[in-house]
Amino acid sequence: MSSTDAPVSTGGDERIAFRGPLQRLLISPEIGALIGALMVWTLFWAVGEQFSTASATALWLDAAAPLGIMAVAVALLMIGGEFDLSSGVMVGSMGIFVGIFAQRFMGDGVSMYLAVPAAFLLAGLIGFLNGTLVVRTGLPSFIVTLATFFVLQGANLVFSKRVVNKVIVENINAERISDFKPFETIFAGRFKQDPPSFADELFLGLVISAAALLVFALLEQSLVRRQAPSAKHLPVMAGGAALAIAGFVLLHSTDGTGANWLCALLGLGGAALAVAGFAGWRYETAALDGAWLVPAARVPLFVGVGLLVAGWVVTRQLDMSQRRVILSIPSHGVKVLIGVLAASAGFAVVLYRGLRSMRSQASGRRPSKSALPRLVLMACLAALVAGSGVITLLQLTTEQGFRAGVFVGTGAGGVFALLVAKGRARSRSRRGQLLLGCVVAAAVVYFGLLVRYDSGSVRFRSGLLGALAIAAGSVLANALVEAYGKKRTSFDRAADTRGRWFGIVGLGLVFAALALRILFSGSNVRTSILWWIIITGVAAFVLARTRWGNWIFAVGGNKDAARAVGVPVDQVKIGLFMMVSLVGCFVGMLTVLRFNSVPAGSGVGKEFEYIIAAVVGGCLLTGGYGSVIGASFGAMIATMPTNGINYARWNGDNRMIFLGVVLFLAVLINQKIRKKAQEAR
Amino acid sequence: MAALLELVNISKFFGNVTALDGISTKVEAGRVTCVLGDNGAGKSTFIKILSGLHEPSEGEYLVDGTPVIFGSPRDARAAGIATVYQDLAMAPLMSVWRNFFLGSEPGNGGWFDTSFAKHTAKEELKKMGIDIRDIDQPVGTLSGGERQSVAIARAVYFGARVLILDEPTSALGVRQSGVVLKYIVKAAERGLGVIFITHNPHHAYPVGDRFLLLNRGKSLGDFAKEEIELDELTRLMAGGAELEALQHELGAR
Repeated sequence: MSSTDAPVSTGGDERIAFRGPLQRLLISPEIGALIGALMVWTLFWAVGEQFSTASATALWLDAAAPLGIMAVAVALLMIGGEFDLSSGVMVGSMGIFVGIFAQRFMGDGVSMYLAVPAAFLLAGLIGFLNGTLVVRTGLPSFIVTLATFFVLQGANLVFSKRVVNKVIVENINAERISDFKPFETIFAGRFKQDPPSFADELFLGLVISAAALLVFALLEQSLVRRQAPSAKHLPVMAGGAALAIAGFVLLHSTDGTGANWLCALLGLGGAALAVAGFAGWRYETAALDGAWLVPAARVPLFVGVGLLVAGWVVTRQLDMSQRRVILSIPSHGVKVLIGVLAASAGFAVVLYRGLRSMRSQASGRRPSKSALPRLVLMACLAALVAGSGVITLLQLTTEQGFRAGVFVGTGAGGVFALLVAKGRARSRSRRGQLLLGCVVAAAVVYFGLLVRYDSGSVRFRSGLLGALAIAAGSVLANALVEAYGKKRTSFDRAADTRGRWFGIVGLGLVFAALALRILFSGSNVRTSILWWIIITGVAAFVLARTRWGNWIFAVGGNKDAARAVGVPVDQVKIGLFMMVSLVGCFVGMLTVLRFNSVPAGSGVGKEFEYIIAAVVGGCLLTGGYGSVIGASFGAMIATMPTNGINYARWNGDNRMIFLGVVLFLAVLINQKIRKKAQEAR
Repeated sequence: MAALLELVNISKFFGNVTALDGISTKVEAGRVTCVLGDNGAGKSTFIKILSGLHEPSEGEYLVDGTPVIFGSPRDARAAGIATVYQDLAMAPLMSVWRNFFLGSEPGNGGWFDTSFAKHTAKEELKKMGIDIRDIDQPVGTLSGGERQSVAIARAVYFGARVLILDEPTSALGVRQSGVVLKYIVKAAERGLGVIFITHNPHHAYPVGDRFLLLNRGKSLGDFAKEEIELDELTRLMAGGAELEALQHELGAR
């Protein structure tokens, strides 16, 4: 059947090219911060041995939580067009307030049930005052809240000196305060506990489901759809899925090294079968026949994998000392040189062959413009495969090295092959697609293998990076190609939507799996991470899906316009100031109940970190634009260096320099991406 | 049938300044009334009275034949009188659909029904003959004419019977102005009364059914289309005798 070959009329607006998921993603304000956060993370992942372990991740996320929560609140206020310089000191003030109140004025046997609500009431009042002053006087919020900042800072000193005769309020704990426990559970409850026995299985299950969904998402968005799904392929798919699950479960429960490979094969076969079944169910078989890798993709992939296998076989014949000798023969510089040579060779070969085939295809008509960047991208990927493959080969002394090499090769090769085949599929035949699914499945299996060793810390980091690389790599590669495809049938659109949902759910599962892993990492993690997630979620929802969100954007974007159409501008602004103060009070509670003491200078200077996190997260300083999710990423960028520098064993004094550079780069990237995306409209 | 909106001898004083003096005109459904005047002629005061921002010091303001006194723009809007200001009351960084429903978001409670909003905004713009490329794009990326059209479509959707357009073509190029004029006619065809304020008689004449000329707060006349030619309109508008004097002066050089 080739009825779908000719695209049906698009029905859309012919003036706009189909906007692929990539572009749609890029115009969202938080994407710059996400990419920045990933880059900073990758940097510390690369230099710090322990940085990406579950427990270290839990630790820096825990440290980032107060900043993240405040950044979300401050981002909302900034989108509404105002600043609050008193937000930092507010955190300290409310801590001191509760501390003094609970200790001094109530004595033993009196409860926090009065102190905590009173703190929130006071914070709300201060916020109301801030907002009212800004709205009524028309003064810049910088000035008004700067005044509040000084007043609060002074009050902190005065009251702590007068009441406890010190510049720090201490001993805010269960011994002194009778009703301390329930509040501690809410604001600073611990997650420190040994992982439950099912945690590993749950993690693995979530990850596998996520990977499957991502593969389906990929297929939905890339292949040619059947007009009517063919149900007879469903059993194949179900059977394959069952086999794959069985393989993975067995893989996870065995200890013998020999059985691992058997189970992995079972999983691999099952996964491939499932993918094939799914493909047969939903897609034109004509698109699948003669499935094999397109020639340009074959050579570097097979050479890379072949070299890996050869290297593995050779190194297996040698004992440890011999390996060490071999390993040290080419010096580091030579290894790098060889790697670079291999990479350039891969680059050159693919570019040459690609150009030649383009020329032969284009005889009689002009080669399409979009083909060239794609080709260069493919060549870069080929360089990556070849280079990393060769370097890995030179370092093969252990099975882990082999596994890592195969993983890199397969993952990069899969993405690469996908690009090539999809490029071809659009222009001429639709071959090679099924195999692509299998390549992805293989990568997933290797990923499973890596996760199998997740108990060790370093293994977690490979697994984590693997998950991110696979998910992000394949989805982005697909999106990139998708963005070039201009003509879409209505049928395709529906499938794209479905594919996107698969992708979203899949990424959600990845997130859930990682969250589970981190919370049960055995580190001393508190509830603040949970509060961070909840508050970010609520704020994002309010901003996107409620009328108040619309008002916040409008109040920051064009106050007069908002007023003209009946938005209660003043109330919105006052509400935002109150919200920031209340969230500040909340974070104050998180801190005081956790550390049991508050210095009088607590929180001073933090307000700039909040603003920085919000700006890095894509909020405009002038208001009217931004994202709270981005602000959360911004908080991560600001916190990661603190922990990362320790793990990298760099001088801790570098932190501020690093922070400055990273912040600048993050904002720069953010701006670049946004500009580029806006141009694409 | 009474006119949708009628002004009888409206005057407005600010202290000892007379901003408007004895202005009368009317707006009928499906008709375009153009208000022409040079800078300082009293056009903005006129709009502010119509849209309920100012109360007239003297004279009667009739809606559907009954005298009204508007305390605020909200009252005027409730009576179906919508004003599209020059700055259009839009936030440039917000998407078309968010702007379209700004201040009147659909949905229960605080919930903002975004899919309904996107769909409806697109439909409403289409009804006005406006084919927006992408409903998600920020208003700031639209051209001036498109932005005007979105503002007009928004006013129409929210139940406007009388549309007051404050210099919609003043900042636009020739082609964009043409686009806006087309939407003005379209709005009138849909049964709205339109008040089109401009200082360009070449924009006013092709679309107008009625012309009110203002000069220094006074009416130079309120004409139906058949009573006046474009040349006469231009001459009156430019200050008539003053322009002739100017031509004389320039010609003498």
